[in-house]
Order: sequence, then C-alpha cells, then structure tokens
Amino acid sequence: MFIKNSLFVIFIFFLSVSNAKELSYVELPSGEETEIRIFPAKGDVLVIGFACDNGKSKHEEATAQSLADDGIEVWMPDMLGTYMLPKSRSSYAEIPSEDLTHVIYEAISTKKDVYLVASGPDTQLLLRAAAQWKKSYADYQDLKGGILLFPRLNDGAPEPGVEPKYVEPVGTTSIPLMVLEGGRTPNRWGVNHLTQKLGASGSSVVSKIVPGIRGYFFKRADPNRTEDVVTSQLSGLIKVSLFYLQELKK
Amino acid sequence: MIKNAIAKKTLLALLLITAGIVQAASLKPYTGKITNPQVQLKDLSGNIHTLEQYKGQVVLVQFWATYCPPCVKEMPSMNKLQDKLAKAGVAFKILAIDMAESKAEVEAFVKRIKPEFTILMDESGSSIQAWNVFAAPSNFLINKQGEIAYTLFGGVEWDSTEIIETITQLSQQ
Repeated sequence: MFIKNSLFVIFIFFLSVSNAKELSYVELPSGEETEIRIFPAKGDVLVIGFACDNGKSKHEEATAQSLADDGIEVWMPDMLGTYMLPKSRSSYAEIPSEDLTHVIYEAISTKKDVYLVASGPDTQLLLRAAAQWKKSYADYQDLKGGILLFPRLNDGAPEPGVEPKYVEPVGTTSIPLMVLEGGRTPNRWGVNHLTQKLGASGSSVVSKIVPGIRGYFFKRADPNRTEDVVTSQLSGLIKVSLFYLQELKK
Repeated sequence: MIKNAIAKKTLLALLLITAGIVQAASLKPYTGKITNPQVQLKDLSGNIHTLEQYKGQVVLVQFWATYCPPCVKEMPSMNKLQDKLAKAGVAFKILAIDMAESKAEVEAFVKRIKPEFTILMDESGSSIQAWNVFAAPSNFLINKQGEIAYTLFGGVEWDSTEIIETITQLSQQ
C-alpha cells in the first residue's frame, strides 16, 4: 500500500515537472551568457518578462506557469544576474541594448507574436529594448506590444507642483503599450501624463487603474485582501492587457 | 589606534547619513509654473476652505493619503509645528488634502492618528491635478501673498528648527 502510494506521488511529481519551466542559455553579443527560464506553450503568443531578480519576486513563476497553461509562452531572461548586477536603478544602464535585442531576436525566431512585459523600474529596460529592436532589426517582424505593470520611470525624486521628468527610454518606442497602475498609490495621478509622454514617439498607449491596490502590491509582505486576490490573478491582468494590445494593433 | 580609526569612520558615516537625511528633507524654493494656486475643498465637517481665506498667513498645503507611510509618520510633528508656531504668535495654517480617498476611510484614520490640523477632502482628485501632484506627501509652503514659496517632497520632522525659522521668516515678509 505504502509503495503504491509512493509510486503515485512520484508519478504525479514527474507529471507536474513535465509542464514546468525549461532553462535555456543564450550567448549574447557582449560575450556574456544569459540564463532564460522558459515556460513553454503551444500558442502563437510569446511574452518576454524582463524579470531581473531571477525568480525572487513573489508569484513570478506561478504567473508565468499560469500563462503557459493558457497557451502563452513565457521567457524570463535574468538580465541582472548575467552581469552580476545588483537590483538597483543604477544597474539598468549597465545592460547593453544589443544584448536585450538579441534576446528579442531569439524570441522572434520562434515565429510567435512577441510581447514584452516588465514591472516597476524594470519597465525602462522594456522601453529601451523595444526602441533598439526597431533600430537594429528593421527588417524583422516588430514587437507586438509592451505591458508596463506599475511603471516607475521618474528620473530623480518628484518635485511637487512640477511636471515629472522621465528616464531617457520614455517616448522612444512606437510599439503599442499598456500601462497598469494601482488605485491606492499616488502614482495613479501621474498615469495620464506618463501615457502622453509614452505616446510621444508614436505608440498607442492604453492605461488602466486597478482599484484597491498599492504600488508593488505583489512584492509586499503585508498584502491586503484585494492585493492578495489581484496577485493571484496577475496572469489574468496580463491576458487582459494582451487583449487590449491586440485590439490597438487592429 | 585602530579602534580610534574605526570610531572616527563610524562617526563620519553617521554624520554623512544625518546630512543626507537633512538634505533630502529640506524645503526647496518653488521653480514650477503655478502662479495662482487655488483650493476650494470641504473638511470632514462639510465646511468649505479656500486658500483665499487664509491670505495674510503662511499656509502649509500638504497632499497626503492614508496608505502613504511617510505621511502618517510625520503627522505628529505637524501637530507640534502648529502648536509651536501658535505659541510664537506666527499666523500659520495647515491644510492637509487627502488624495481622493473616501470620507469613511479618512474618518477612521483621523480617529486613530488624531491629526490636530485641518483635513480637506478631494474625492474627485481635481486639486491633485491642478497642483501637479504626482507623489505623496507633496508639500507646498504658501506665503502671505498666496504664492507658492517652497515645496518639499517626502516625509520630514516638521517641527525642526530649520523649518520653523523658514516659516517665521515668511510670516515677516
């Protein structure tokens, strides 16, 4: 009986592992090698998440797996770990644009529709990568869109009564963009301004406020009930965003 | 000798950290484009307050929210600032504008934290947009003529000597 039960557990374990992530290693133009966690799926959409802390974010892998279960392939390159950079704003400048676009090139080579997704300050990598892709790979298929989850793109501390200044990549790409912001964060009041600036280079931009949640809610140690629910449904938010981006493209 | 060196370095590091905090929290002369700031909002009792009615006083207009930790942390020092300036005979008013939360949320917060200054409600967010506020706490120090003289972003100990001196000087201009 015990052996039967153990065999069943082992069988279930292997069954679940077979659907889980794969690790892929890609050599980059800089000479570095990056590790990409791939959550494979059979659908024709591929999402690259510029997740820079290699799975340390809460729910990151669960969200990726949930998307993959629904047919959306997810790639998560470890763009900070590749260069042994700490997770801080100053690190982003150290990541070469050519390396970012090479990851996109690998994704585009699958012939799937490629979208980018990033959260918080990582969103500046998304914008830079998208702009550089258009410049360096003009003959290739363009990216289908970018999802900016709770973007933090201010250049320096905000100054009361003065319009915000943004980091350089804002307003440099023309791909369709979706911006999601929490309703219980002061940043929601900057969404219209940011939307306008993001669209300066020709992007169609849609922004939505998710009510009842604070900034970085999915990384908080003290989530409230709404934040818990939304965190568990992050893949749903991404799917809705993909829908909006597909509509924008029409 | 080594112990002395370590102690010196520790002291230097502490001084630098303290200097950083003070610098981060200092009032900055306003450089933006808002020339005629307006407020017309209700307090929790339903009374309307305008900036116009406080002309002749120095006014601290603060945009805050219950979910903003530095906003909550600095409130006791705002109570003290108001108290110290009243005792010194400085005409001064605090108008703390809540950033579009519900009255029920703010009332529950006030019951718990007990701010002793005027809380105004901006449920539509119209003032937040008119004042170009994109972060909390965002603070504006208004001179007696009704103009924005200084701004400050972030939490601060409001009853510090530096801030009291600045407000006192503004009240004499």
